[in-house]
Amino acid sequence: MGETLNIDDLRNRIENEISPLKTLEDLKKIKATILGRKGVFSEYLDALKLLDKDQKKVFGKEINRLKASTEARLNEMETALIEAERAKQEELTWIDITMPGKVPVLGRKHPITQTFEEIIRVFSSLGFAVAEGPDIELDYYNFEALNIPKHHPARDMQDTFYIKPGVVLRTHTSPVQIRVMEAQLPPVKIISPGSVYRCDHDVSHTPMFHQVEGLMVDKHVRFSDLKGILSVFIQEIFGANTRLRFRPSYFPFTEPSAEVDIGCVICEGAGCRVCKDTGWLEILGSGMVHPQVLRNVGYDPEEVSGFAFGMGVERIAMLRFGIDDIRQFYYNDIRFLSQF
Amino acid sequence: MRIPCEWLNEFVVLDIDPHDLAMRLTMRGFEVEAIEEYRPTFDGVCVGQIMAIDAHPNAGNLTVCSVNVGLETLPIVCGAKNIRIGDKVPLALVGARLAGNFLIEKRAIRGVESPGMLCSEKELGLSDDHSGIFIVPEDVAVGSKLAEMKGLNDSVLDISVPPNRGDCLSVLGIAREVGSILNQRAKLPMFKLDTTGSEDVEDRISLAITDTDACPRYVLRMIKGISIGPAPFWMRNRIQKCGMRPINAIVDVTNYVMLELGQPLHAFDYHALADKRIEVRVAEGDTAFRTLDGEDRKLVAGDIMICDGSGPVAIAGIMGGENSEITASTKDIALESAFFNPLSIRETARRLGIRSEASLRFEKGVDRDSVDFAAERAIFLMNSTAGGTVLKGKREIHEKGSGRSIFVSFAKIIDILGVPIEHSGIISALRSVDLHILREEENGFVVSVPGFRHDLEEYMDIIEEVARIYGYDHVPATTPAGAQQVQKRNRKEVYLKGMKEYLTSCGFFELVNFAFFNIKDIESFRILPSDPRSSCVPIMNPIGKDYEVMRTFVAANVLKSIAYNLNRGAKNLKFFEMGKIFFLDGSSLPVEYPSVCFAMTGREREYFWRDPSPEYDFFDIKGVVEGLADRFGLQISVSRSTEEFLNRNRAADILAGETKIGWMGEIRGEVLRSYGIEQTVYCAELRSDLIVQHGSVDAKYRPIPRFPQVTRDFAFYMDENTPVGAIIDRIRGVSPLITGVGVFDMFKKETKSIALRVVFQSFEETLTDETVNALQEIIIREATSIQGVMLRT
Ligand SMILES: [Zn+2]
Repeated sequence: MGETLNIDDLRNRIENEISPLKTLEDLKKIKATILGRKGVFSEYLDALKLLDKDQKKVFGKEINRLKASTEARLNEMETALIEAERAKQEELTWIDITMPGKVPVLGRKHPITQTFEEIIRVFSSLGFAVAEGPDIELDYYNFEALNIPKHHPARDMQDTFYIKPGVVLRTHTSPVQIRVMEAQLPPVKIISPGSVYRCDHDVSHTPMFHQVEGLMVDKHVRFSDLKGILSVFIQEIFGANTRLRFRPSYFPFTEPSAEVDIGCVICEGAGCRVCKDTGWLEILGSGMVHPQVLRNVGYDPEEVSGFAFGMGVERIAMLRFGIDDIRQFYYNDIRFLSQF
Repeated sequence: MRIPCEWLNEFVVLDIDPHDLAMRLTMRGFEVEAIEEYRPTFDGVCVGQIMAIDAHPNAGNLTVCSVNVGLETLPIVCGAKNIRIGDKVPLALVGARLAGNFLIEKRAIRGVESPGMLCSEKELGLSDDHSGIFIVPEDVAVGSKLAEMKGLNDSVLDISVPPNRGDCLSVLGIAREVGSILNQRAKLPMFKLDTTGSEDVEDRISLAITDTDACPRYVLRMIKGISIGPAPFWMRNRIQKCGMRPINAIVDVTNYVMLELGQPLHAFDYHALADKRIEVRVAEGDTAFRTLDGEDRKLVAGDIMICDGSGPVAIAGIMGGENSEITASTKDIALESAFFNPLSIRETARRLGIRSEASLRFEKGVDRDSVDFAAERAIFLMNSTAGGTVLKGKREIHEKGSGRSIFVSFAKIIDILGVPIEHSGIISALRSVDLHILREEENGFVVSVPGFRHDLEEYMDIIEEVARIYGYDHVPATTPAGAQQVQKRNRKEVYLKGMKEYLTSCGFFELVNFAFFNIKDIESFRILPSDPRSSCVPIMNPIGKDYEVMRTFVAANVLKSIAYNLNRGAKNLKFFEMGKIFFLDGSSLPVEYPSVCFAMTGREREYFWRDPSPEYDFFDIKGVVEGLADRFGLQISVSRSTEEFLNRNRAADILAGETKIGWMGEIRGEVLRSYGIEQTVYCAELRSDLIVQHGSVDAKYRPIPRFPQVTRDFAFYMDENTPVGAIIDRIRGVSPLITGVGVFDMFKKETKSIALRVVFQSFEETLTDETVNALQEIIIREATSIQGVMLRT
């Protein structure tokens, strides 16, 4: 029997099948044509059965080697084609990353609220509780109890809205001090944030504005403690390097009274329009609670002493945010509100 | 108070730069608001002396003066008539520049060469006086530069004097403070009154005072035979720098002494005084009186009047009368210096609306102890500027005031200030401001208060003086002693802050409006008179229509802010405001409630390149309300609203239990148009105090269910008018295992159709199909038992 198998022929046939292969689909088809049950190799393996033992051995080895290498080659090609396919799919997910994103639509708190919250945060951390009182107040609480009797020149300092005789729109949040002290014994440690009203409406005044007042009454509260508390507050609000000075002033309900100035945040002390060339900005009024005020609420000034302070929230907001016109707070222009 | 340093220098030696002085005064409580520099506006003008005055050869109305300028004498052509031989005058030589940048050139006037020009005050820019040549004070050296003359170069301190320091509304008062700063003692002006005349005040005028509470101190002095002209330049110059206008020598002297010593004075024309008598009276009833400004005034009971034999001649401390006013022809003067009751002066001045420099000082209280000194000082100055003869003596009333003395303990000073000051330091600090120690005691001292310090009433006032002089800068910053208290959480504050956070995270911007509104807002919102919201709290003295009453709801202000922004190009707005609303109440004070209002108009985004946002509708505002209720643990329900300002078809009242806590919906077009708004606005307003009352912010943990949840969908046909809420409520009521009912679709072909998703959840076991199927049956039965509801299959 001289039957032989032409391996070269087999190799050519495989080569002819594989070389035009382009797609994963082609590959699957060719895999079947070559390696499948009715494929090329099956054909040869069937033919091999007809050969004699020696030949079987020789050709069998050859065919199996060729089959293994073809299989490996096709697997390699398959991996490459899958990779290429994946790359092609990925190409389709391309987007223009420079298109605008969808920004969540959030609102903002009014800068006055933000400033209030900041002030309250600092004083809360110093142990002050928040106390409130009515906006429409008795003359007694707004003036008399605070050592501002009728006909007192200090009434000229505050142009008052009257609701009826003896009832006013509070001109400061100080009446809350009196209400709190009337209702409890020392120690007292409160701040009172709120709206206040004065009949004044021009470029630098609004008929309503906001204040935070503070009060601490206890045994042995000292003027130096007032300096300590306010120094901490101011450095927390305006930064640790803020210069500040306490200078004598006059308020009917405190004595000694002190105006607190900070180094101008605009010009850093060189002098500018905002600080009227002084290098300093008035930021709050303060002092030791006047003994008469303590007596008015039934406290004994021989036993306890205290300090009080008050600040304009708009003023602080203007300095923190660099706002140059107080009326901006009340126009409520969205182009203003969205800046803070 | 404007204080010229040149004047101040007469009381204390100012060896300090004005800016340093200003800083130190500020740190003493006398804030210097500005320093105004006075400099001559002319240049090249020297002081000459008139040696001879000759007629001009070619012009009858001109003269040729020989003017000695030190090294030489120059012929100067001049047209003024007020110069005499020996006068010192300003000579502007060729090349000099006068006020208004006017350059002096060599020129011939009517044929006579003049190498310069004699100048008026106006030409020098010193005043508006152009009536003649400026006569330079005698003590200025011939040949010196006029620009160097005293008073022309000056720094004027504009000092904000604290309202309780009336004593510092004078050069002397400020000088005392400056003296204390510079370790000097302020010197009083020195002068010698010439009383060599033979006449005596007591023979010429009588004085009576009926009420020594109203006027405990009064002095009358006289001068006769004066001739009234302008005051000398130095006096006018100082008055002007202090911000007052020179009038004539007599008025200027009274003003000058007031500025100098703080004592207001009043000069009467002696001949106008009937019966040569002055009586200080307190008016008993209405009295008509014409003041020297020509105004007719009505005096009422309690006003202090100065009267002569026939009636009032002045309103004490405030303004003189036309009837006794000083005129150009006045020859003899009766001068008043007094202390009037400050409260009375204040009351009268307020009522009449006259706030003069004099009343300002009387209101704060003048120095009773220097009333006569000021009178002497003024008479002396009148004599030296207007001539005449000073009468001997005076008429006076002198009710002895009890000098105040105050005890202060050393320990209290140290306890209050928190500074260990030496006792000797305390004493010397007080001495420097004329507070003298009457006696020292074991643990303190008694200090006597001088007559000009009306602000010192009790120990705390003295402690303040110690602190002021010691310097606030030297007080250390300390931490209060005592246990640190932890402050309780304020429930309301937590809510209000939380609401602001919720609403901003929903995209709302916060507004802050004035808590006022216009009474018209009530009409625009169609609030009925029976509605409490129409009982606004009125303001007696409003500053405008828009601020005439306190608001009873916030929505009107929110609409105004929306209109403001729409008018400025905005289209899509979401705003909220939280603030107080006010209602009239029977009690002495109106009631105040916190309210929260939020509104939306337009759409979320004007455009986006995909998924455009729809316009806001009722369910957007309702969603915000539901979210708010959920956030604050509030069980709410809705009912159709009867608010007249809302579109009834798209409006709801918000209820917590039976209580109406607010409303929400679409604002009616007519209401919007009255605010100038043309686009739809959805709005809600709720009483925040009621949210706090009915809600809860305390989160409580519920275990996460260990068993899976099951969902089933249902579809029903239903009548147009059957509320979906009723079906949802019915289904929720079927079993506690039903933990959610949602609407996931609604459409209408012929009949309205609704699709619901129901969530079943057990915390005990895995729900079996049988259990859920049984519940499903009940749900269908319950839902379809509602009128007009049918299962869609
Ligand atoms: Zn500055």
